Amino acid sequence: MTIQDPHPHLALLLKQYARDLAQSAPSSHLDARIDHLVAGHLQISAPVPLQRRRRVAFYAAAAAFAALAIGAGIFIGMRLEQSRAGFAAAQTGAHDTLWPSADLTMWPTDSVLFKIPAEYSAKGTLVAVDPDSKHGSTRYWIDVVVSNDGTFRIEQVVPAYSTQKNGGHDGVAP
Amino acid sequence: MLTMKLVSSDSECMARLAAGDGNALRELYQRHGRALLRFSSAMCRSRQAAEDMVHDTFVALMREPVSFDPGQGTVFGYLCGVLRHRVSRHFRQQKRWVALDMDNDSSPVHASDAHSPADEIARSEITAAFRRAMLELPLQHREIIALCDLEELPYTTVAGILDCPVGTVRSRLHRARALLTIRLASLELIDLESEPPFAHRGLS
Repeated sequence: MTIQDPHPHLALLLKQYARDLAQSAPSSHLDARIDHLVAGHLQISAPVPLQRRRRVAFYAAAAAFAALAIGAGIFIGMRLEQSRAGFAAAQTGAHDTLWPSADLTMWPTDSVLFKIPAEYSAKGTLVAVDPDSKHGSTRYWIDVVVSNDGTFRIEQVVPAYSTQKNGGHDGVAP
Repeated sequence: MLTMKLVSSDSECMARLAAGDGNALRELYQRHGRALLRFSSAMCRSRQAAEDMVHDTFVALMREPVSFDPGQGTVFGYLCGVLRHRVSRHFRQQKRWVALDMDNDSSPVHASDAHSPADEIARSEITAAFRRAMLELPLQHREIIALCDLEELPYTTVAGILDCPVGTVRSRLHRARALLTIRLASLELIDLESEPPFAHRGLS
């Protein structure tokens, strides 16, 4: 493809515009920015004195040593923590075997049944009475079971006439 | 002979810059800064943006002077390539913003030079309209006109800057000129039927 010359009017305008552009020079602000750039480059590329380099090397070595010490401390601490946790777990396991739960007692559970004579009081509650006393009102037997693990419970409350038919009570029935 | 000396001098400056000599950057700026600013002014809407692009170009040069390959072209061509990428990125970023008043930035001269005779010429009606027409062109057409017609660089150099074959430079330039001509004709700056009307205005 061959390139043609631009339209004569366009060529004139282009020439005029190129002349206008050629008359514009970089501003002092741009010159100052470039100078600043060059100055910064000279500062960056300037050789560092030997004493300063040694100081930097010393600080770098100190920082590396400090980082190493901190890392070692964290590692040792973690190991100690782990071993302590393991010891505590072992202690807990041993404690569990030394102190069994409530349903596994050292002694066989035994219990005693008490039969307590009782009558209704004026307040409407059952109160224990002397078995040899005269009946003021309807008498009941309260069967209380007391176990050797420290618990007790009311087994049943029955009218006294039913037990009297069976031969009576002495107040204690193992 | 003079050209050969300048090229070798540019290469020496690049070698010195790569070795850490900041003064070489200043020499390169004094040698090519003005031409780069012309190219940048033809591409950017505002003078401030054009100067920012030139500054960024030298910053990039200072950071990576070793990326210049003397076998691929001149230092000026390399700088134009860097500037072109900066301008392209600048316009990509500018697409996210909406200009409030584009006419304020249409002047190619700096505000501090507002009273110079050159500024009076640049602010003339025809030049301002031509500049607006140039800025309305797509970026790749604008840059080809700036490099070929305004800077009058050889096609081979432009092909090196744009990283494309010489044939592409020719076809792109042809299309860019056609677009610009149509645009200027629509603004009645060009009469496609008659002789150039600007002779009596001293523009010939």
